[in-house]
Amino acid sequence: MRPRHHPVVRITHWVNVVAVLVMAGSGLRIFNAYPAFARKGEAFCCWPWEGMKAPAWLTFGGWLAGARNWHFAMMWVLAVNGLVYLGFIWLHGEWRDLVPRRGFLRDAREMARFYLFARPDHPRQGKHNALQRGAYFAMPIIGALLVLTGLALWKPVQLGWLTALFGGYAWARYWHFVAMLLLGLLAVVHVVMVLTTDPYSIISMTTGRYEERWSPEARNARPLVNLRPAAVDPAAVVPAAVVPAAVDPAAVVPAAVDPAAVVPAAVDPAAPVARHESRGQEDR
Amino acid sequence: MIRREILLGAAGFLAGCNSRGPGWASGLLDLAESRNERVEAWLLRHDRMDRAAAGARDAGSAFPAYHISDRAPVWDPALRGTWALEVGGAVRRPLRLTLEDLARLPQVTQRVNHYCVEGWTAVATWSGVRVSELARVAGLGPEAGFVDFESFDAGYHESWDLESALHPQTLVATGMDRRPLGPAHGAPARLHSPIKLGYKSVKYLTRVVFLPERNGGYWSDQGYEWFAGT
Repeated sequence: MRPRHHPVVRITHWVNVVAVLVMAGSGLRIFNAYPAFARKGEAFCCWPWEGMKAPAWLTFGGWLAGARNWHFAMMWVLAVNGLVYLGFIWLHGEWRDLVPRRGFLRDAREMARFYLFARPDHPRQGKHNALQRGAYFAMPIIGALLVLTGLALWKPVQLGWLTALFGGYAWARYWHFVAMLLLGLLAVVHVVMVLTTDPYSIISMTTGRYEERWSPEARNARPLVNLRPAAVDPAAVVPAAVVPAAVDPAAVVPAAVDPAAVVPAAVDPAAPVARHESRGQEDR
Repeated sequence: MIRREILLGAAGFLAGCNSRGPGWASGLLDLAESRNERVEAWLLRHDRMDRAAAGARDAGSAFPAYHISDRAPVWDPALRGTWALEVGGAVRRPLRLTLEDLARLPQVTQRVNHYCVEGWTAVATWSGVRVSELARVAGLGPEAGFVDFESFDAGYHESWDLESALHPQTLVATGMDRRPLGPAHGAPARLHSPIKLGYKSVKYLTRVVFLPERNGGYWSDQGYEWFAGT
C-alpha cells in the first residue's frame, strides 16, 4: 500500500521538529541578552514589549555563548533539511497537496464553521482540509523568511545588501523575531489540532500507515469530538472477503447487523476504494 | 551586561549543567563552529563596507561602555610612563607609537555600526589609523597570519585572522564622535571595527602582535565565537 506520506517527507518532518525546537529555544536565549529592538540611543516604534525577556523555561543553550553555538550549528540542519523537503515536494508533486486551490477562502471558512459547530458535517476534502493547506503552505514561506533574515543578522556587513533589504540590522532582527512568533503560533495550533482532532496522523507521519476510517472527514471529527475510528457506514460495508487483512472484520461490521443482510449482491466491492481514489484525484 | 552572562554561565557550569550539553553535542558544536569559520573567511571581502544608516541617530552617551576591570582602566603616566602602542611580532620593523606618532599617520574617520554579541547596535563616528597602515609601516613578515590585540584592562585581549585585521574599516581608534576617546570607551586608543562583533574590538590597547597562529581571546576562550565576523 502506498504510504500516506513519502519517507522523505516523514524524515524531513521529524528532523525539522528537532531543528525548529533548538532554533527557537536558542534564539530566545540570544534574544534575552538584549530583549529589545531599538538601536542604542533610539526608540523602536513597533514593539510594545521592549525590554521584556522570554521566560527562561522556553530557552535553550544555558547562556548566551552556548545558545549561539547551538543556533549557528543547527541553522545548517534547518536550512539543508528545508531545502531537501522543498526540492522533494517540487520534484515529486506533493506541493499540489499544499498550494491553496481555487475556492480556498470559501473552503477555509466552511472548515472554520464546522469547527465552530456552525455546520454539522465535515466539509469534503482531499489529503488536507483548507485550513491545513493554508498552514502547511505558509510554514515553508515563513521558514524561508527566517533563514534569510537570519543570514542578514549573521553577516550584516558581508551580506549588507541582504540586511538592507530587510530595512537594516534592527529591522532584520525584528522580522526574524516576528517570523519566529508566527511559525511558533502555527506549530502550536498544528500540535494542538493533531492531539485533539487527528492523533492518527502521528502514526501516518511516522510509519506512513493510514486508514480511511481514521480520517477526520470519515469520523466527522472536531477538536475532542469523534476521536474513535469511524464505524463504517452499513451501506458501504465491504464483504468480508475483500476487507484488507489489516482491518479486523469484527470491528468493521457492527455485531448487531447481519452481514449477509447489509451487503447487497449488487454492491461493487471496489466502490469504497474507488471513492477514496477519486477523491485523491480531485485533490491533484 | 555581558559580565552577567558569564556569571550565569559559570553558575550553570558549577551546578554540573554544562551549557553545551553532553560530550557528543560539544564535539558537534565545535565541528560546526570550525566549518562556520571557514564560511565566514570565505565570505569576507575587503570592499564590503559597513555604513551607519543616514537616518540613524548617534548613540552618544547611550553607547554602552564595559571593561572587565572593576573600574574603568585609566593609564597613569606617573606610574607607567608615557603610553605607547607597541606593534611587534612577525614584523620587520617593530614600532613603538605614542599618541603623537599615531596622529602623524594617515587618519581615517568613519560613521559605522557597532555590532554587539548581545544583539544591539550603536552608531558612532570613529577616527584613527587603519591596522593595515600599521602593518604596512611595520612591514609584515611572511609568517604573519593572525594578530593579537592586547590591553591594559586586566589582561583582556582578542586575536584576529589577518584578513579581517587588514580590512580598511579595522582601525586603531583614538577618537570617538570627533572627540578624543574617553576612559569609558578605551582611552587612549582602542581597536574598532564594524566587521567583527564588539568583543573583538579590544579597548585600552597596549600591543598589536602579528603571529603565525591564533591566540584565542578573553571571550573566545570562554565559548564565544573566535572569528565572530559580521
